[in-house]
Amino acid sequence: MTDVERLLTEYKEAHQGGGDADPRPYLARVSGVDRELLAGLIDAYLEEAPRRPFAAAAFASSRAAPVAEDVERSLAGAGGMWPALLPRLRARARLRRSELVAQLAARLGAQGQQDKVGLYYHQMEQGLLPESGVSETVLEALGKIVDSTASALRKAGQMPAPGPPRTDEGAVFARATYGEPAAAAPADESELAARERRAEEWDEVDRLFQGGA
Amino acid sequence: MAEFEELSERQLGDLSDEQLVDYLRRAREAGRHDAMKPAVAVLVYGYWDNLVNRARLKLRSDADAEDVAAEAVASAIVSAFDGKSVGEFRSWLHTILSRRIADWWEAKEQKLDKTRLPSEHQGDEEVWGREPSVDFEGEALFARQCVRRALEELEDPRHRRVIDLYVLGRNSAAEAAGLVGDGMTEANVHQISSRFQRRVRELLEGGDTSD
Repeated sequence: MTDVERLLTEYKEAHQGGGDADPRPYLARVSGVDRELLAGLIDAYLEEAPRRPFAAAAFASSRAAPVAEDVERSLAGAGGMWPALLPRLRARARLRRSELVAQLAARLGAQGQQDKVGLYYHQMEQGLLPESGVSETVLEALGKIVDSTASALRKAGQMPAPGPPRTDEGAVFARATYGEPAAAAPADESELAARERRAEEWDEVDRLFQGGA
Repeated sequence: MAEFEELSERQLGDLSDEQLVDYLRRAREAGRHDAMKPAVAVLVYGYWDNLVNRARLKLRSDADAEDVAAEAVASAIVSAFDGKSVGEFRSWLHTILSRRIADWWEAKEQKLDKTRLPSEHQGDEEVWGREPSVDFEGEALFARQCVRRALEELEDPRHRRVIDLYVLGRNSAAEAAGLVGDGMTEANVHQISSRFQRRVRELLEGGDTSD
């Protein structure tokens, strides 16, 4: 058995035994073409590996847990992939949320309403703000801060399109947005009229985050 | 409203990837966001380590590998709700991961074009970032191409099955021989495996996988 075969076997045993199975210590034990060969074989092995059986305790403490939460928010919310994307873009830009909000407020000329901008941005990260209401001005400003583009952010916010309103016990909490319910359609004429009244009371920041265009 | 029957965690674990995605679709259609959570968890947890470890082979840091893996798994699951036919979920997921890794390197190169390199600006790496380790990037990406090429060259479907079961799979040589059957022996499995790895090595040393 060659070094590569032995290391591949060892790696597969470690992988099947559970745990992290970081391949890099195995690669470090060979060099040159052997190392490349081992890297290619481990890569192909991982691509074919079946789904790991679910273990609730291991999941709760794993890095997969917050990722799953973001994905679930994306599927359940009104802002497409923003819950999965925006926190990551912010982390890549090495910005705390407060720092991003301060920059965003400044770019929008709303330094005096930083708290309000912060609440709206929070709703974007949580999937509570419908993408259609967020203006190009906001997305352009945000794109410049997190090294993305308005069109990429728009596209992410549209995918997937919002689903039907939730019917489970969490439905009440999902409506806790700044100005009005997240994605729910107006139930009747009185609610529509109330919305129109609220829209008349909007200031520039409300219009930027809820008025679209 | 679509009829929806909530499943237990154990029942979800028994579903195939495609059945899980279908379950998620139905839960979403029924507005049952609470029921979506465990199904998303089963999918994400099930592939997380494999995705991160594949990314570790091609990127420099754990943070980068986890970032790219998170983006890939989110994109793969969400795109299944976008009217796209994604085929086999696992294959789709790994394809997206490979694309995201390529995007990561492309973005890195574009950024480096716009900035000075640390070697031009000694002692200030935090500001300018590290230079790319091109050898490291090439190592795993090119190696994977060579493995693919060597797999494509296998003309005998039994030999391909041996590689899938024994080299890239979880079976011993004896198990692989038994599963392939048709006179395949443990010694044959070792021979086929050695020949395959020799071919990948030739392709790696040749430095070219084009026809």
